[in-house]
Amino acid sequence: MDATTTRQTRRIPPGVGGYRRRGWWPDALSAVAAASLLIVVALWVHGGNMQALFAGDGDALTSLGRLTGLVAADLLLVQVILMARVPWIERTYGQDRLARWHRIVGFTSINLMLIHVAFITLGYALTAHSSLLLEAWQLVTTYPGMLLATAASAALVMVAVTSVRAARARLRYESWHLLHLYAYLGVGLALPHELWTGADFVASGVARAYWWFCYIVTVGCIVIFRIGLPVWRSIRHDLRVEAVVPESPGVTSIYIRGQQLDRMPVQAGQFFVWRFLGAPGWTRAHPFSLSAAPRPDLLRITVKELGDGSGDVIGIRRGTRVLVEGPYGRLTGEMRRRRHLTMLACGIGITPMRALLESEYYLPGEAVLIYRASSPSDLTFYREFEHLARHRGVTVHYLVGRRANDSSWLPRGYGDDLAALRALAPDIVHSDVYVCGPTPWMAAVTDALERVSVPSQHIHLEAFSW
Amino acid sequence: MRRITLWLSATVAIVVLLFSYHTSTNTRSAAGQQQPGQPPGIVGAQPTPRSGANGKPSPSSSAKGTSAASVVNGTVAQTQWGPVQVQVHISHHRITDVKALVFPSGSGHDQAINSYALPILRQEVLSAQSARIDSVSGATITSGGYKESLQAALDAAHFGS
Repeated sequence: MDATTTRQTRRIPPGVGGYRRRGWWPDALSAVAAASLLIVVALWVHGGNMQALFAGDGDALTSLGRLTGLVAADLLLVQVILMARVPWIERTYGQDRLARWHRIVGFTSINLMLIHVAFITLGYALTAHSSLLLEAWQLVTTYPGMLLATAASAALVMVAVTSVRAARARLRYESWHLLHLYAYLGVGLALPHELWTGADFVASGVARAYWWFCYIVTVGCIVIFRIGLPVWRSIRHDLRVEAVVPESPGVTSIYIRGQQLDRMPVQAGQFFVWRFLGAPGWTRAHPFSLSAAPRPDLLRITVKELGDGSGDVIGIRRGTRVLVEGPYGRLTGEMRRRRHLTMLACGIGITPMRALLESEYYLPGEAVLIYRASSPSDLTFYREFEHLARHRGVTVHYLVGRRANDSSWLPRGYGDDLAALRALAPDIVHSDVYVCGPTPWMAAVTDALERVSVPSQHIHLEAFSW
Repeated sequence: MRRITLWLSATVAIVVLLFSYHTSTNTRSAAGQQQPGQPPGIVGAQPTPRSGANGKPSPSSSAKGTSAASVVNGTVAQTQWGPVQVQVHISHHRITDVKALVFPSGSGHDQAINSYALPILRQEVLSAQSARIDSVSGATITSGGYKESLQAALDAAHFGS
């Protein structure tokens, strides 16, 4: 049961399976996204909307309203696909970058949508010589599909508002995630008015066909990669809880047995999004990293009670069926470019490091783990790290205590940020550096890493808070 | 009831209500189906006021603009928003009336625009006595079709030749 006694199953020397060969994928995928934008703009030009820009205030506003609407609708689909967990897209860009783009593209789309609503209403009111409020009312109540579109805007605005950083910080992950699902409703309800009222689609069968194609591709990606694949994987590997083991105060490991896990493309350092069927709060999904290298029959995750429902899983019974999405994450051995490894972890961010130290290849003295925790009792896996230190020559530094100040990654009494880093990990400049922990702490670490001149392509991050 | 169940049923209820509204299902066919239009050409003429006893229009006798009064349909002009067809009334070499037989009415916006633009176009034609009129701002596409159909009608009636 003790995962540290697992023998090494994969010893990949750095550089062999290491470099990600992305080739033409990024260019091809970017080209597709750019082409989709080009097509909607071309539709707009083809509809005579350029001339309309100079045909009077009402026409110009309506024309700009159409353009912003088309681009907003296109970006809406793009940002859905960015988060659809399409394997090729995930592998090409990495989930962290995709999540960032999803955020930028999503907010851009919402802003354009709001401009679209304002411009179309104003433009229609001007050309029809009616008052703004009357025109808005008629638009919503008499135009085909417009009531649905109004509901769609409401759903999308709600999703955007709850994703503004200040609002998101106040919500539990699970609540935020549930509200975020309303974006799908918004995307779906927006379609009828695009096809029935959208001037450029009403006028052209080819345009309508193209738009249906875009929607079908988007829905296909969601159905296949966000629903089908996770369900299929969970059933095929028949994942079930094997044991629940306390590690340290508030921290619990869950062992999950499965069939043919060696045929699942999972690596140490990755995470899954977990649902424990039948357990309280099973509808809420929790992202947890593997805390041991995956074995053909067994996975291990380690969970800290954070007061957000992540503690619900501690009471799970043996045999509970497990539904997973994933594996996700690029904090894997594939990212390595150097022989030396330096790992910095804080709190429960230790879990992927624990798995990586087990699975990665290194000689004694080539790997350094710097592990920060608030108190000695919070040092999870202490025994396992001692084992790794003895048998594989990992140098382990425990840093215990509260952080010295908000800008420092060190606890009080450890001196200067940079000097301590150089002293604890003398080879850090020639190392691959893996960092995982709460976001503010990671920011302090990356700042220190940059200042001791660790090249950014050798820094590998996974923000442990969502 | 669990909160998640409440959320889910409330969402489903709202979506069902939204879709039960009449604009939420494709009712475009009802509002948007155009009158098929009428065959272009001269549909009615009185060769002279005195021979009006005949009553029945006789297209063959109305050629060469000999008639004092005639009614002529323009061709159906296809525009981006749908077909446009006008009917022109000519009496003593003057355009006395223009009626729009077919015009885009697929959406509320079309209807709003046309109720405003068509009277202006008619007035323009009556004062210009030709199809060389300005387009109405906000209804450029329909204006184009209107002029095209009108010109065809005037040509058929050999108006101005």
